[in-house]
Amino acid sequence: MATEVKLPRLGQGMEAGTIVKWLKAEGDRVERGDPLYELDTEKVTQEVEAEASGVLLKIAVQSGEVPVGQTVAVIGEAGEAVPDPGGARHRDERVTPASKEAKSSGSEVAVAGARHHDRSGASRQQANGGRIKASPLARRIARERGIDLGGLSGTGPDGRIVAEDVERAQAAPAAPAALPAGDVESIPLTTVRRTIARRLTAAWEVPVFELVVSADMTRANALVARARELDPDVRVTVTDVLAKLAALALVRHPEVNVQFADDAILRFPRANIGIAAAAPQGLVVPVVHGADELSLTELATRRAEVIGRARENRLRQEDIDGGTFTISNLGMYGVEQFVAVLNPPQAAILAVGATQDRAVVVDGDVVVRPMLTLTLTVDHRAVDGAPAADFLRTLKSFLEEPGLAL
Amino acid sequence: MPELSYREAVRDTLAAAMRADDDVFVMGEDIAEMGGSMGVTQGLFDEFGPERVRNTPISEMAIVGAGIGAAMQGMRPVVEIMYEDFLTLSMEQLVNQAAKHRYMSGGQLKVPLTIRTQGGAGWSPGAQHAQQLEAWFVHVPGLKVAFPSTPADARGILWSAIYDDNPVIVFEHRLLYPIKEQVPEKIEPIPLGKARIVQEGTDVTVIAIGPLVHRSVAAAKEAAEDGISVEIVDPRTLQPLDVETLVASVKKTNRAVVAHEAVTRGGFGAEVAAVLQAEAFDWLDAPIERVGAKFAPLAFAPAMEQFVIPQPADVLAAIRKTVGRGD
Amino acid sequence: MLQNVHSFRVAKVEKRRALSDERLRGFLREMLLIRRFEEKVEERFRAGELPGFLHVAIGQEAVAVGVCNAMEDGDVFASTHRAHAHTLARGTHPNALMAELYGKLEGCSHGYGGSMHLYDVERGNLGANAVVGGGLPAIVGAGLAFKLRDEPRVAVAFFGDGATNTGTFHESLNLAELWKTRCVFVCENNEWAESTPGWQHSPVFDDMSKRAVAFDMRSIKVDGQDVEEVYDRAREALEHARSGEGPVFLDVETSRMHGHYIGDPQVYRSKEDRDEAAERDPIVLLRERLGVGDEDWDALETEVHEIVEASVEFAKSGTDPQPEDALKNIYA
Repeated sequence: MATEVKLPRLGQGMEAGTIVKWLKAEGDRVERGDPLYELDTEKVTQEVEAEASGVLLKIAVQSGEVPVGQTVAVIGEAGEAVPDPGGARHRDERVTPASKEAKSSGSEVAVAGARHHDRSGASRQQANGGRIKASPLARRIARERGIDLGGLSGTGPDGRIVAEDVERAQAAPAAPAALPAGDVESIPLTTVRRTIARRLTAAWEVPVFELVVSADMTRANALVARARELDPDVRVTVTDVLAKLAALALVRHPEVNVQFADDAILRFPRANIGIAAAAPQGLVVPVVHGADELSLTELATRRAEVIGRARENRLRQEDIDGGTFTISNLGMYGVEQFVAVLNPPQAAILAVGATQDRAVVVDGDVVVRPMLTLTLTVDHRAVDGAPAADFLRTLKSFLEEPGLAL
Repeated sequence: MPELSYREAVRDTLAAAMRADDDVFVMGEDIAEMGGSMGVTQGLFDEFGPERVRNTPISEMAIVGAGIGAAMQGMRPVVEIMYEDFLTLSMEQLVNQAAKHRYMSGGQLKVPLTIRTQGGAGWSPGAQHAQQLEAWFVHVPGLKVAFPSTPADARGILWSAIYDDNPVIVFEHRLLYPIKEQVPEKIEPIPLGKARIVQEGTDVTVIAIGPLVHRSVAAAKEAAEDGISVEIVDPRTLQPLDVETLVASVKKTNRAVVAHEAVTRGGFGAEVAAVLQAEAFDWLDAPIERVGAKFAPLAFAPAMEQFVIPQPADVLAAIRKTVGRGD
Repeated sequence: MLQNVHSFRVAKVEKRRALSDERLRGFLREMLLIRRFEEKVEERFRAGELPGFLHVAIGQEAVAVGVCNAMEDGDVFASTHRAHAHTLARGTHPNALMAELYGKLEGCSHGYGGSMHLYDVERGNLGANAVVGGGLPAIVGAGLAFKLRDEPRVAVAFFGDGATNTGTFHESLNLAELWKTRCVFVCENNEWAESTPGWQHSPVFDDMSKRAVAFDMRSIKVDGQDVEEVYDRAREALEHARSGEGPVFLDVETSRMHGHYIGDPQVYRSKEDRDEAAERDPIVLLRERLGVGDEDWDALETEVHEIVEASVEFAKSGTDPQPEDALKNIYA
């Protein structure tokens, strides 16, 4: 009995994926669990494993975007007749152009305990086959003002983009003039790039404020050095210390460890720290879950694992799901300080610059200390200035005196 | 301004028309000495006598057909069909005859016939005395259909129906008969095909007929407490339909609920929803919601009956759903 | 042979021949015109020129001519799906009728009705009705209006024996008698309800007057193949109704010489039955009675032929309605 290999849904809100390449050829023997093909989804590129054993009888879709649920291959016994996957063909033809247009989702947040967001949006979106769900009025306004619905997240039932969502969005700049002939290279958007664009555009709509603080990193640096000395196999970094101390500070200031969810503020008991990383396919934010409860070396180990997978373009869905706070560290590039754009639906992101020796005044004397400038961007809908400042003060004190975090 | 009940308003209009015009007469079952099974025609027999207030045998086909014949001779008969459930018995005469004589004659004939009938659930009459069948007649070219929801509308619309040169079926609702309101001293005819904005609002338009107008007002009050501003429009005439007013309202609020006591499936609300999506598609910010009876005959036991027919809470739920606050 | 009264109400019948031969010749001419007109309709239908569903009254012309000539100006009637004869007999011009059958604006229903929905309100034709029994209630209503306004007018309903089994028939006769509306109910009993013989559809098929008995309605039996007889009895019935004494049921026995509809192969009907019907051809009977010789007959045929041919010419050169005219005349 042949088994149709259908494109799986690998995350909340996933409607389609792009098959990058097949790891098996037609006629190859496959065992259940063998990596079958590489799939580029909105968030990650990953290998999809075979769900059945047998011979790969047919590859129905060699590459390109495919809606969830469509048959992409058939596994069966050698010589077995291949069922016609034509049932999916019609749907495919209908769906593909629309899914190329853009994607919408108000519900791709997948934080443990935050399923609230989802309602039945994901399955509906799936049934939509990638079409943006927007009301006729929202479509008309978007059309008239040149706004790309793909960049919006809907607040209507089942994540539908309604007029209010469009009204909130800024009109997109007028369509660019035709590309000048010659040198300009047009790089088609990858799924990940498109997701980044959409999510950051959505983040731009959120009212935020920024708080800046500098910390004396003398003791934190000593802690890093000591940890490396104790366990040379695990290369603990400043980022790990920052993640660990931020996690502990978040647990002390749960009013910052939150998300804004339209009709509620979601507050999380644990701190899952996302660490922004540059991966080949673009910006990704792998998550170290339960950072508040991990030891520094455990945290560093986990961080190394997920960042490693990110660099290899092998992130798993669970690697990117569930963050409650993000750290973006550009210190290694010598950036002194910067402002990060929120990583929705999280309410706060910490932008970390380079540690630099600066002259500071301590007890009336000018001294040179390794100073680090931190900028916290906060969703003002969810968090007020005072608690955010309080959190930042705690974080600063932890960095300057890690023992206080105990 | 006098205060009249819905029942008195209908009676007042019949009497006024009969006083004004010898061509107007009423006929129906039990309408003379008894004054009608709903008491609408009480007193008319005493004033106008047996020739103009005609008690009929239980013969819905013949009563309606006789109305057609008299109307084609230029009279303006008003036929009462005791329960709209019994319109089924006169269906052939209404659909094949009344609706089509003008057409089939190439415009030679007019059928200025008024059919008054009533129905509606909410008092446990069971499955054969409580239906709302107005949608069937909206489906028939040549018929006009009205469903006034208040005493003032009942007067103005019935008057216009009597003086319309086409067959007009006027639906009344049993539970509306006792409701009272101030009405103009003199009957002011309400043109058939003119909707009434019951209350203005900005967030959602509820298009309701008959008893659902009142249930929608109740629902709108609750919605207001929630910060939702509801506009209620009563088409009053179902055919012809005041598309312009309905569409204008929906273009303003961008959301619509249609509500009637008849079953939702194939109901008048389906027609309204279709018209709205065609005329105001690009103004809709949410799917149009329909409120109506569940797809079941009307049960006798009150608990079952109440379950089947739409309540204010159903209208409220539909309102909330259109503004994205449904559960 | 003639039983003019039913058992318990004796109608006053004068056995007289009041009509002049000239008047009867006029009837003969009308009947022949109807016959040749309908034969032409059959021919044109078979030639594919006429759309729709058509029924001819060949064999029943005496009923139409007798009753319609007995009616006065201002009287109204409702006809049936077999309406050409009534319409022509009541004075609608053959051109207007033929034009209607061709679906032209010049037709008596302006192309909106067709063979089964012939109207001519000016001549009292309130409509041929394609629903068996469908026209009766309105005739009661028209008769009621005449009564309420005290107008000396009568409303006449034509219908066949098949209609006596419909609910409208019973409700209408009951109401008419109850209210003494000014109506005459003309039952054209040709003993066929479409393909169903009388004995299969009615327990009183051979004496339809019994239907009227149930409503205590005055009933008169008539030989429908004798135009003079039909005229006399119809006159009597109309006068009775006009006087306000109550409606009358005219129980007319007649013969349908052709099928139910044009093209009906009549597989359900024996040759004997058809032959029998042909033997009672009212036109032949009247010609014999009047002793019309061949020369006169040929002249009559020629005259009628020209009228019928002219009606076809008129109809064919008539105006086709615009498709969007279909949206007119729905409401007054």
